This record gives sequence, C-alpha cells and structure tokens, in this order.
Amino acid sequence: MIATVVRRLLAAIPTLLAVLTLVFVIVRIVPGDPAAAILGDRATPAAVAALQAKLGLDQPVWAQYVSFLRQYLSGDFGVSMVTNRPILADVAAVLPHTIDLTLAAMLIGTLIGIPAGVSAALHRNGVIDVAARLLSLIGLSFPVFVSGIFLLLAFALHWRIFPVIGNANLADPLDRLTKLVLPAATLGLVMAAYITRVTRSAMLQVLSEDYIRTARAKGVPWRGVVWRHGLRNAGLPVVTVVGLYVGILIGNSVLTEIVFNRPGLGRIIVGALNQRDYTTLQGLMVIYCFLIVVVNLLTDLAYGVIDPRVKQA
Amino acid sequence: MTLRAALLAAALVLPLPAVAAPRTTLVVGMAAQDVGRLDPHFAVSTPDRAVVAWMFNALVRFKPGSMSPGDIEPDLAESWESSRDRKVWTFHLRHGVRFHGDYGELTADDVVFSLRKSADHNRSAVSGDFAAFDQIEAIDPYTVRITLKQTVPSLLGILTNYGGGFIVSRKAVEKLGDAFARAPIGTGPFAYASLTPNQSLELDAHTAYFRGAPKLAHISYRFLPSNASRDLAFENGELDLAFGMQDQTWVTRTRRNPNAIVDVFEPGEAALLHLNITQKPLDDIRVRRAIAYAVNRPELLRWQGADVSRQPGSVIPIGNLGYTADNGLPQHNLDKARALLAEAGYANGLTIKVIHTQLPSMLAQMQVVQAELKRAGITLDLQVVEHATYHQMIRQDLSPIVFYNAARFPVADIYLTQFYHSRSTVKTPTAVTNFSHCNAADAEIDAARTEPDEQKQLALWQVAQGKIIARLCAVPLIETLQAWVRRADLDYGFPLKGSLSLGPVITEATHFK
Repeated sequence: MIATVVRRLLAAIPTLLAVLTLVFVIVRIVPGDPAAAILGDRATPAAVAALQAKLGLDQPVWAQYVSFLRQYLSGDFGVSMVTNRPILADVAAVLPHTIDLTLAAMLIGTLIGIPAGVSAALHRNGVIDVAARLLSLIGLSFPVFVSGIFLLLAFALHWRIFPVIGNANLADPLDRLTKLVLPAATLGLVMAAYITRVTRSAMLQVLSEDYIRTARAKGVPWRGVVWRHGLRNAGLPVVTVVGLYVGILIGNSVLTEIVFNRPGLGRIIVGALNQRDYTTLQGLMVIYCFLIVVVNLLTDLAYGVIDPRVKQA
Repeated sequence: MTLRAALLAAALVLPLPAVAAPRTTLVVGMAAQDVGRLDPHFAVSTPDRAVVAWMFNALVRFKPGSMSPGDIEPDLAESWESSRDRKVWTFHLRHGVRFHGDYGELTADDVVFSLRKSADHNRSAVSGDFAAFDQIEAIDPYTVRITLKQTVPSLLGILTNYGGGFIVSRKAVEKLGDAFARAPIGTGPFAYASLTPNQSLELDAHTAYFRGAPKLAHISYRFLPSNASRDLAFENGELDLAFGMQDQTWVTRTRRNPNAIVDVFEPGEAALLHLNITQKPLDDIRVRRAIAYAVNRPELLRWQGADVSRQPGSVIPIGNLGYTADNGLPQHNLDKARALLAEAGYANGLTIKVIHTQLPSMLAQMQVVQAELKRAGITLDLQVVEHATYHQMIRQDLSPIVFYNAARFPVADIYLTQFYHSRSTVKTPTAVTNFSHCNAADAEIDAARTEPDEQKQLALWQVAQGKIIARLCAVPLIETLQAWVRRADLDYGFPLKGSLSLGPVITEATHFK
C-alpha cells in the first residue's frame, strides 16, 4: 500500500511539471496586462512600465519561465502580484472552507445518491424509480446559483434558520457547521442527482448478471444479494464518479461560494483571473493539481478495497 | 421544539438590560472578491478606494458628504497660503496628529515623503496627477512648501483625500516595505486590524484620532461579490451598509424596505462613445454626426432609471467645475442620422466592429446603444471580451469606437486633458485615455490650465467643449450615480451628497442612532 502511494506520488511529478508549464503559457496567452490591471486607468505608461519591470514581466518569456520553475522547485509560491500577500497564506486561510464544503457535499451526495440509485434500480419503472429519475433530473437541471438563492430565501430570509453570509469562524465548530449546511446541501443535492443515476444504471447492469441469479438460487437473502453482491460490484463506476466529482468540486464550487458568500479556492481563482494575477493563478493551479492527484489516488485505493482484483493487478 | 422556538424561549428567560447599548460595529457589504492594494497611492479599484478613505487623511479634504471643489476644507493642514502667481504653496500642519499604532506623530517629513511617493511612478498609480510638481520640501516640522513648475487649475484638488493626496507614515512604509500595502498605517479615524482573504477586512477605531475618538468601535468590511446574496444579507439584517446597484429596479425595490435608506450620490460616472477620428469610416465627420444623431439619451435614461442616472449635456461630466451644457450637442434625430449616412456613401447602412467589455452593467448599456444605432442603419458588431482584455485592447487602439465610463476629480481640466488632449492619445508615450485621437481643443485646454482669471478660465473650458463637440470626438450617453443602501438607524454624521472614493465616507461622527 505504502509503495503504491509513493509510486503514485512520484508519478504525479511529471504531471505537476506539465501543469506548471501549461499554466505558465496559458496565463501569458490570455490578453490583459497585469501591471495595467493593478494600476488602473489613470496610470501613466511610465508607471505601467515600472511595475512591469518590478514584476519581472519585462523579461523575455523564457527567462520568466526559468525563474518561475526555479521558484516553484524550491517550494516558494511567492506573493500575489495584486495584493502582495503570500499565496500560501491566502490558500491556507481559505482551504479549510473548501475542504469543509467538498467533504460535506460529498457526504450528502453519497448518502442520498447511493440509496436512491439502488432503490430506483430495485423498483425499475416503478413509482420509486420514476420519482428518483425525476428528482435527479431536477437536481441536474437547476444551476447552483438558482437553487442556492431559493435555499437562502427559504432558510435564511423566511425561516431565519441560517445566515446569508457564510464566511464561518473556523475556530467555532457550531458557526462552521451552521454556515456549511446550505451551501453543502446545494452542491450535495446536485452530486446526489449524478450518483443516483450512475448507481441506478450500474445496479441494473449488475442485477442482471449470472452470479446474482446464482446467489439467489443458493438462497442468499435478497438484502445480502443487493448490498453484498450487487452494490459491491456496481461500486466501481460509482466511486469513479464520486472521485471525479470531488475533483471538480474543489475548483468549481465558485458559484456556490459566491452565492453563499463563502471563501474558497474557486473564488481566489476567479479573482486572480480577473486581475491577471499570474503568480496567484500559477500557485493555485499547482495546488489544485496536487489535490486532484491526491483525490485520484484515494479513488484508486478505493478501487482496491471494493474489488481485490484491482489491488492484485 | 423548533430551533426558533427554543431561541425565543431562551430570549424570554434571559434578563434584558435596562437600556440597549447603541451598536458600535458597522458591517459593510462590498461587491468584491477581495481587496487589492491598501497602499492609498495604489488603491484604484472601487473596493480599495472606498475603504482607504476611512483610514487616511490628506492635507485638505472634501467636507464629508461632498465632492464639490468649493467644499474643500482643512484636514491635516490647518491653514495654507499661496504666492501671487499660485506656483508656491505653503501648508501649516496641525500639531499632535497621531498615526495608527506606534508610528508616532505626523510631521512635515511624512507629508513630503507621501507626496513625493505619490509623484513617483515607481511607487504610485496616480503619479500623472503630480506632473506639475517641481519641489516638495519641509520648512520645519509643521510646515510644507510645494513649488509648481506651472500653475494647475486646482492644486488643492490634487491634495484632497483622494488618490495621491493621502498622507502615509514614512516610518511605516520604510519599516514594512511591500507589507505596507497589506497592512497600511494612516492617521484616519479607522485603523487596519486584520484581513481574512476572500472574507473581510477588519478595522478598529483609531482612538487617538485628532478629531476625537470615533463613535464606532469597529468596521467589518465584507467581500460579497454576488448582488443577489448581498441584497439578501442586507434584508436579513446581516449588513448595516451595502454597495447597491445603479439600477432603477434595485432602487425601487430596496426603498420598499422600511428599515432601509437608499443613498444615491455623486460622482456621476459619465459614459461616452469615443469615436476614433483617424480611422475609417469614423474619419468622416458625417458618420460621426450620424452616430451622434442616432443616440437617444432620453431613452437610455428611461432604461437606466431617473433615480440613478441623468442625461449629460457635454463631453465632460455634469458638476465638473467648467461644465457647460449649451455646446451644440446633436440631439436625437433618426432622419438626420440616415441622411448623413447616405451623404457619406452609406445609404444601405454600415457595420463597425467594436471591442467591448463583458462587465454586465457596461455591456447592458452598450446593448441599448447598439439597438439605438441599429435604427439608423449603423450596426455595431460587438466583440465582447473579458474586462482586463478590453482595457488592454482599447489602449492598443484596436477599437474604432470605445464605450468608456469614468469619474474624475470634478474640475474640467482633468477630464478634458485625459480624454481629449492630443498628449493623452493612446499608444503614445504620454498616453492616458484619449481614444478618439482628439486634438480639437489642445490650445484652449493648455491655456485654461495656466489662466489666472477664473472667468477667462471658465470661458476657455467652454470653448474647448464646444470644439470637441463640433469635431464629435465623443458622444455623451448617460451619467450614472453611485447607489448604496444603509439601515435606517445608521447616521453618517453628515448629509451624503457626494464622495470621490465612490463609497460613503465613514468618519468619527458616524454612529447608530
């Protein structure tokens, strides 16, 4: 197990390097001068040129790339071009919020999605199946900025159970939990909709397999057939979807963060993109890439738990 | 028992204080992902400008709630005098003004350092405002002398609590270096306390403030980029003051809340179409006139809303010292527009590619203009790009028509120079924002700047506006005012009519009633 983890982490190094290079190129291809964006519309050309020089943007691109690689390989993520704040400090300040939201959404998504998908498959074309499919369609059709506002109107404005501003005090667990409920529900319900559909279709396929019939013929109770033989074998695609979705959630929860006024990695990325804050964008992309590598690794390890043949392979 | 019922029961059981103490924490909701640079000489975005005005002072200031040049009053300087030719100015500083924290008393040395920093393009985003400054020197610890290379229409305007006029602590800048932009030190009524990225900037009262300790103890400046959720947070009582929308629907809806007061105030941000007079087909005055006749300002005003916008009458904003409305600006007339197009050889209409921003408020305004011009046969083919890209592309002269929205210090010289003087033409070494390549009134703009007689100066500015309109370097569209909302029990301590920082000025007098 440890060897697998180490091997996978080592294998991620070329991926990280490729991402670094790609990010470096992409942020420079996008039009828009960071110095001009920072200084605003009253800055003189001399002021813009001076800031470009200070930020190293007057150097040839290859020289910028070399110094960028040297900096990252020495573990220095630098400071934001716009705010002058250390990038890692900004990330450290918001990362717990992102992790809270991602894990809570994943929990809600799997706790609702897997049982709903299994029930739908077991009652194929019945009332439960139709209801599950309909609800999952609704869940997938509503953009989070719409469902989020509806939840705020109901639970913050009408019943006044939760606050609108979701920037929690990390040192206060109750505050943290209270401000997590609505955004996690918003994202979790979308994830549940995905998982319901994937679980349903995987279960339908598995339930028609010979070994299920054999298990039933041997007299294994139906509950055991479903959960031990059925769900376990249908688990691989479900875990894949959960893994992929968690990866997406880490960076793409920006709309939820904006609607619920939560800090998070997504919001930093959007702010950095608008301001052409190259250094922050680069730093966040590396961190994001690293988190994706970790999530993929965990997903792969989960495969081994679900299906021992994967581990042996 | 529901959570609400439980809380109600708890509230009934707990003893209430005899008299509720007035609240002393102000929670502000700002449309921002975060703040940028809090060094006041780099604070150029609206979220940064609004908040640095609460932390810093200048030699002089606009009377709180005003941005009229006639309302400039002493701030850190208690008095001043100028030489007869208005080239040498001497400022006498207040004694006993304390910087935030342990940075001691303000002296002339800090003022000289600050103004030199503002004038240095390596250390300031607004150095262009100080081009006429020759020397800034300390005569004694409480006296500063400024010598100009040439007179400027409003030296006091440059030294107000706006942009480069803010005074910083020399000791703090030298000690903190780049970190000063994250945790700045000023003399204002509120001092930096902490910053949580993406969440909020916290300010504490500066109890040693020279005008007296602020009535508010704390300000929490929250970054809430979503308009909808910021509104909901205000409705829910989680905000005391919030950035609003320059939109009639928002104003009307928000005013229905009995606990809310909507403040609509100056400056009006003037939106104009700048027409590049050197590029085809706009090098033909008939085409530019056709555009001017096709624009329907009353319609734009109805669309934007009369409470938050107004109809401009010139190529500089209403309220600028030197603004005059009667300069022969063409009024909406579709027949004339079509006739001029036909005369110019475009009887079947013409199409012009225009680079424009995707910023929703500006895009929506431009789409209304696009529909208006379409009626005259002029098709604007909008190339919508991201906002920073738009700024870069229009400065590279890539758009023959530039829609630009701006507010400046309200003296005609600033707007005329930056937008219509040939020295400010984009893609030149001295470029500012002259997108039209206008050079119609260079002589009048230059002459007005050094004209000692105020009446003659006003006359020169009027002639300049007339010439720019005659050449149709730009077509004014609409002016949009600032809109914020506050709780009814929040008293600024002054009537809010204008604020160059684009947000309400929070002073030592601001309090909850």
